[in-house]
Amino acid sequence: MITVRSVSKSYGNIEAVKNVSFSIAKGEIFGILGPNGAGKSTIVNILNTLIKPDKGDVIIDGVNINNDGKTVKLIMGVVPQEIALYEELTAHENLMFWGGLYDIPKPELKAKVKETLGIVDLVNRKDDRIKTFSGGMKRRINIACSLLHNPRILVLDEPTVGVDPQNRHHIFEVIERLNREGMTIIYTTHYMEEAERFCDKIAIIDTGQIVAQGTLKELKHISDIKDLVTIKLADAEKETIARIASENPLFRFDSTSSTFEVECGNIGKDTPIIINQIQKSGGVIERINTRGTNLESIYLKLTGKELRD
Amino acid sequence: MFKLFKKDLILFLHDQRSVILTFFLPVILITLFAFAYGSIGSYNGRSEPVRLLVADLDQTSSSKEIIHKIDSLDDIIVVVSDSINSRELVVKGDYVCALIIYKGFQDSLEYGDSTPIELIYDRSREMEIGILQQNLISTIMSSTGETIVHNSIEEYLQDQFPDIDKSTRENILKTAIKKDDNKLSIKWTSIVGEKNDTKLGLIQAVAGTAILMLLFSVAGVGTSILEEKENGTINRLLYSPLKRSAILYSKMLFAFFISVLQLTAMFLFAWLVLNMDMNVNMPGLILMIIATSFAVSSLGIFLASIAKTRQQAQNLSTIIILVMSAIGGSMIPLFIMPAILQKIALLSVNYWGIQGFYDLFWRVLPLKEILPKILILMSIGVVMTLASIQLFKKRITKLQ
Repeated sequence: MITVRSVSKSYGNIEAVKNVSFSIAKGEIFGILGPNGAGKSTIVNILNTLIKPDKGDVIIDGVNINNDGKTVKLIMGVVPQEIALYEELTAHENLMFWGGLYDIPKPELKAKVKETLGIVDLVNRKDDRIKTFSGGMKRRINIACSLLHNPRILVLDEPTVGVDPQNRHHIFEVIERLNREGMTIIYTTHYMEEAERFCDKIAIIDTGQIVAQGTLKELKHISDIKDLVTIKLADAEKETIARIASENPLFRFDSTSSTFEVECGNIGKDTPIIINQIQKSGGVIERINTRGTNLESIYLKLTGKELRD
Repeated sequence: MFKLFKKDLILFLHDQRSVILTFFLPVILITLFAFAYGSIGSYNGRSEPVRLLVADLDQTSSSKEIIHKIDSLDDIIVVVSDSINSRELVVKGDYVCALIIYKGFQDSLEYGDSTPIELIYDRSREMEIGILQQNLISTIMSSTGETIVHNSIEEYLQDQFPDIDKSTRENILKTAIKKDDNKLSIKWTSIVGEKNDTKLGLIQAVAGTAILMLLFSVAGVGTSILEEKENGTINRLLYSPLKRSAILYSKMLFAFFISVLQLTAMFLFAWLVLNMDMNVNMPGLILMIIATSFAVSSLGIFLASIAKTRQQAQNLSTIIILVMSAIGGSMIPLFIMPAILQKIALLSVNYWGIQGFYDLFWRVLPLKEILPKILILMSIGVVMTLASIQLFKKRITKLQ
């Protein structure tokens, strides 16, 4: 559906995007994960033909963006990071206006506005001015405005910034519903849990470069990060500790916390085996902690930085 | 483009503050300025007469005669008082000035001495004093002068021709001192503005204020471009299949439409409420409204295009509009400004607009005489529009 090949974009001496390549299949949710200023919005604007790349090619649904920008704009719906709505207009007026820009016949547009208000669950607030809405409701209308022309690809640029948990849940439901209906989604975020929850594939971007991309499993493999099981013994006698260590060379003892740390491929499968081996070596377990591999740890491993809100 | 225009119009109508600033505030200001410039009111279209305190300490036939003459003037109402009270009332600000005729006034006329007469006044109210000056001084001077000359000639005749009979003496005096019916006078004839009933002050008030308020209104429209950039709606418009230029053109069209609407509303108000004579060259008026609206709306958009932020645009617009309106004649009539400022005024949109409306309403000139001003306004509009298009592409729709 989307192929991006060796795309670069500079502003003066600043390289906003460096040699970026990725591809997205139809119906996939593709996450672009990175901190603010990493180049996510520049990639979104290149995909939507607003910014011309200095180098590289972008093919969207068979259309080269350099040749036919208008068709690309009709294929794509973009939900901007800002709440780009007219506060003095009602929800209905906003939707009619934004949908009207795509030359949709009025009766069709009216029906689509009604349907879209239903998708974002704001039918009962349609005649209220946007300025009276909460931040989360505004975000939902912000998404609705991008759905009116039936785009095949939806780009969501940080759609949950500053949204309360209830509205965030609403937004997640909308995205999942649209994806179930076959829409291809590009989702930029700096929230790990969102990327983990939705994305079939994730590209980790840092200072304009994609440092790794793939499924969560592939990223785990690339980053070579293991799950961790930590076990504290009830009887931390020297002989017992030495016996466990000698019989299980992969078990590492941390004398300061008096715990064994064991790296493993899969917490679910490996934890019972580890418990069994400790007990077989005569150890009595007081407490077990587990830490699965997540995007946070992968990101940290790959970029050497922490991704913060 | 018309969808964007319609959206801007709905937004404008939703925003009560904008509607009030565009239509009601100018109406109030025009009315205030029209009163201030003395074109409307209860006193036959002229300013209210000045009340003059007069203290007659002489109490002679000469002093009474002079008071009677002053009282007969249209622009002055005499209020008789005593000298102490008169001073007090002027000091308190209840009266602008007081005329005190001291004892010995009549004697001084007879003997040709300097006349003991004093005008005490409040220096801060020079405008009203100015109105008094012409009438009061001429009346006093002619009265006192007549008496002095009469006495001098009579004295001379008595010395040189003591035997002359009474009727001959009176004839000589009558011939020497010409009375009102044959005294030397300059005939004052106005040749401008005689063909219509509209007062110059009203034209100044309507045209000056309307253009000033027009500039503020369109600056607001221009600023809304930056507001849209800041809240992300410009970017969202760019995500749609709209052409980049359509965003700017729709704003320009809207600014122009509001300008035409506002100017038309102001002239209608002046016609219906302030009795402004609208029996003028209609094609000329329509063209002037269009040309002024185009120049002003282009300037408003240009001011927004050169600013980087909304706040910057607001501050810049306020400064430029106030300075341009001050030198261009919107705030103060141009004819009372120094010559150098009148030359600088040529650089302002206000000047060409106001002068064009003067030509229409005051000088009642035909269209061909007004055309140069219309062309200058249109040229200002074209230059500002071209500059705005370049700046808009460079600054407003730039994403990074």
